[in-house]
Amino acid sequence: MSLLGADYRRDMGVHSYPVLVYALTPLAALVLQAWLPRLVLGYTWFDLPLVVTVYFALARRNPIQGTLMGAGMGLFEDALTHHAIGVNGIAKTVAGFLAGSVGVRIDVENHTIRTMVTFLLSLLSSVIYFSIYRVLLGLNLEWSWLAELMKAVVNALIAMVLFPLLDRTRVRD
Amino acid sequence: MESFFVRYRNLLVLLAILLAQIIGLAMQVRRTDSGRNSLDPQDAPGVRLLRLWADTVVMPPEKAFHATRLGAVSLWQDYIDLHHIREQNQDLQKTIDRLRLEQASLLEDAKQGERLQALMDFQQKYIYKTQAAQAIGTSGSDSSRVFYIDKGADYKLERDMAVITPDGIAGKVRDVFPHSAQVLAINDQTSGAGVILETTRIRGILRGNAVGRPQIVGILKDDRIQPGEKVLTAGGDLIFPRGLPVGVVEKVVPDPDRDSFVDVIVTPAAHLNRLDEVLVITSTEPRFPAEQQQDMATSEMLKGAQAAAIAEASREQKKASEVMAERLPGLTDPNAPAQTPAVGTAPGNAQPGQSATPAAAAPPPVPKLLHPQHPDRFTVGTGSPQSGQTSAPAGQEKKPTPKTGLKPESKPESKSGQKANPQPAHAGGNTQP
Repeated sequence: MSLLGADYRRDMGVHSYPVLVYALTPLAALVLQAWLPRLVLGYTWFDLPLVVTVYFALARRNPIQGTLMGAGMGLFEDALTHHAIGVNGIAKTVAGFLAGSVGVRIDVENHTIRTMVTFLLSLLSSVIYFSIYRVLLGLNLEWSWLAELMKAVVNALIAMVLFPLLDRTRVRD
Repeated sequence: MESFFVRYRNLLVLLAILLAQIIGLAMQVRRTDSGRNSLDPQDAPGVRLLRLWADTVVMPPEKAFHATRLGAVSLWQDYIDLHHIREQNQDLQKTIDRLRLEQASLLEDAKQGERLQALMDFQQKYIYKTQAAQAIGTSGSDSSRVFYIDKGADYKLERDMAVITPDGIAGKVRDVFPHSAQVLAINDQTSGAGVILETTRIRGILRGNAVGRPQIVGILKDDRIQPGEKVLTAGGDLIFPRGLPVGVVEKVVPDPDRDSFVDVIVTPAAHLNRLDEVLVITSTEPRFPAEQQQDMATSEMLKGAQAAAIAEASREQKKASEVMAERLPGLTDPNAPAQTPAVGTAPGNAQPGQSATPAAAAPPPVPKLLHPQHPDRFTVGTGSPQSGQTSAPAGQEKKPTPKTGLKPESKPESKSGQKANPQPAHAGGNTQP
């Protein structure tokens, strides 16, 4: 993992995207996250909103934008469930913040690094979700760590495919 | 001071957003009387507003996706993939006819049950009105087993209405939006449906586990619970009508928290992961719905027609047998007990082909024991092997000796008859056709 100075990274320029990509990609991720499980027999071993959050946070290299995007996506996901609103919000807020912070310090053009970051942040998001539910809220929730591990792996695989596709939508100077 | 905010701007924004969400979470959780935390079953206005926004944003694209998929599938199924459709149609028609007759036969039991329930002041609710809906989306989360349907307040759906499929129950309406509704599936961890095992009549509460399998919890160990037993709704939860299929017992596993309890894993009757069309029970009444009553009337009419046809066929068959009886020669059993003197004595009453004089006037044949081929000391009525040659008539044979304790075995009368008074070989008892 190549470590670079923050100023140097900024000098390389922050990637920007058309407004439609900013608007439609998160919306498509949320809609597909709610719709696709019906086609794959109810298995939700993926988290498209998290993958999109990580991508934009890494690409924009801005922790605040990553934080806001993660919070928005998480709250939206929570609103579609019947659980308390804010659990996913906190988990993805932290994930977005960390992705934005990491994007300042590492070479985010490397596909392998981006995939690994997605995998680790997916696991971290699950841990935060579970901790909030069991510790902070004191609610009873059974958990399958195997399913969470599978979800992290699938998220990484999706990132390998999706990130290069989204890279093509960048605005070229 | 300004440099502090600038320097830690990222961290401060993060903390502010986290703090706001934690406060929001704290407002949604309440402590119950038992000292445990639980989510407020009724969403606060702010929470409901967020859910409404999310529903408003997500549902239109989901409906569009769903409609597109349905269109493609129906195009394929309705216009292209039509192999064997005629045979299927005929089979279905036969099935409908058979079910109508079965329904008619069950109707009397149902009416009787209804009368008895009325006598006992027990109001059994029947599914009176349902609303068909399409399942169009999910929550997108493993920990929240809910799905969305395309009917909402515009179709007068309300919270806690039961959602079923023809195979079994699927869930209950948890939240209603203007044009959609959120349904809590029975395999969610927070769901709860009162169920009863069909054979053992053990009651329990059905809810989902971590991997989305429905299980009945809080049941004492009982060896009678076997895999394959049907699970039905118990009707005590005031949501699901009584007697609807839930699934079958898959296996029984020990409760990890309590020693003397078990969890019964249930294979759901409804395909919870492939739900397309569901029915929302919008009304239950203590009487049959109009459509069902109409079906019953049709069944009754069909049943009456079928019964008349069966009776007519029976009469025709009886008439044919009588004609055959008149044409066939009569047969008499030579070993049959003596009939009344009127039978056979009057020549005019004799059936065609039957002799009026011989058998009826003759004395009844006296059955005799067969001569033993190799008499021994166990032979009845013989003091010695030689004495067995003179057999005693029936009813006069000696009782067995106390030494042996064996009872005399009378041989078939036909055989004795053959020996004593030979008769025609048709003494099989076929006297009448």
